[in-house]
Amino acid sequence: MIALRLHRHIYRGASVDEAVKIFTSYGTFERKEEPESWLVEVTTDDPQRERRIAGELANYALGLTVKAGGVDPKATAST
Amino acid sequence: MTISALSFPARLTQMQAVVDGFPADLCTVDVAKNSVELRVESGLYPLGALYGAAYIFIDRCYVLLGRPDAAHLSVSLAWKKGTPDEVALRELAGEFMNELLSCAWRAKISEESRSIIEAVTAQAFAGAMGAPSLDDLEKFDFSDGAFEDPLGIAMSWEDKYGKKKSGAAPSDGATPPSAEAPPPETPGGAKPEAT
Repeated sequence: MIALRLHRHIYRGASVDEAVKIFTSYGTFERKEEPESWLVEVTTDDPQRERRIAGELANYALGLTVKAGGVDPKATAST
Repeated sequence: MTISALSFPARLTQMQAVVDGFPADLCTVDVAKNSVELRVESGLYPLGALYGAAYIFIDRCYVLLGRPDAAHLSVSLAWKKGTPDEVALRELAGEFMNELLSCAWRAKISEESRSIIEAVTAQAFAGAMGAPSLDDLEKFDFSDGAFEDPLGIAMSWEDKYGKKKSGAAPSDGATPPSAEAPPPETPGGAKPEAT
């Protein structure tokens, strides 16, 4: 299992959700929230495949965040 | 297994190596994991610049951004395909830092010229709206006072260089010449003949 921590000040929550939705057929994903980050636990049957899917998921979430113009400052004002 | 690029250990592990030409606390290479970890100051490199640089590398690497503390941002670049050697990873780190610097500089220029771009764009849109209608002109408020012109730049050419008007009528009672007055006599004393 790979635990992917995506910082709230850098990754939009909606982008992470959308990325998880896109990759849901490639493995098992569990999404949790931490005070400073979005936590996505990625599980597949092969470690190499796990690394690849976790990396692609992170890239996809980053791409969606960049495309959306970054993180809304109001959403992260409290953290 | 956990991707923990968001935290940078104070002491490097055996698998991590300092990259030649880079400060030890800012850049490390992990050859076993085919990855490079960078740490940059958020005051020097804004998040927007980091987004721009990271976006360029997502076709070659798995890019993971982090924020270890309020003053720093971290970048983890993990090679996607193959097994690069330390030299290739060093080149990757250098290329990323150069791209980051370029993006930061472009972001600064964009920020400085934002007001100019907005003014030009607003003027372009205003011009594209076409000439004002008669109704618009009718509603226009002309009651604003005249603008200040202490240097007299707004004075017309006629006012500034034209012939001075005689302010008052001559005091000796002579009437000004009119078009109906007879033409002056020629020096020889003969009147000019009408043609």
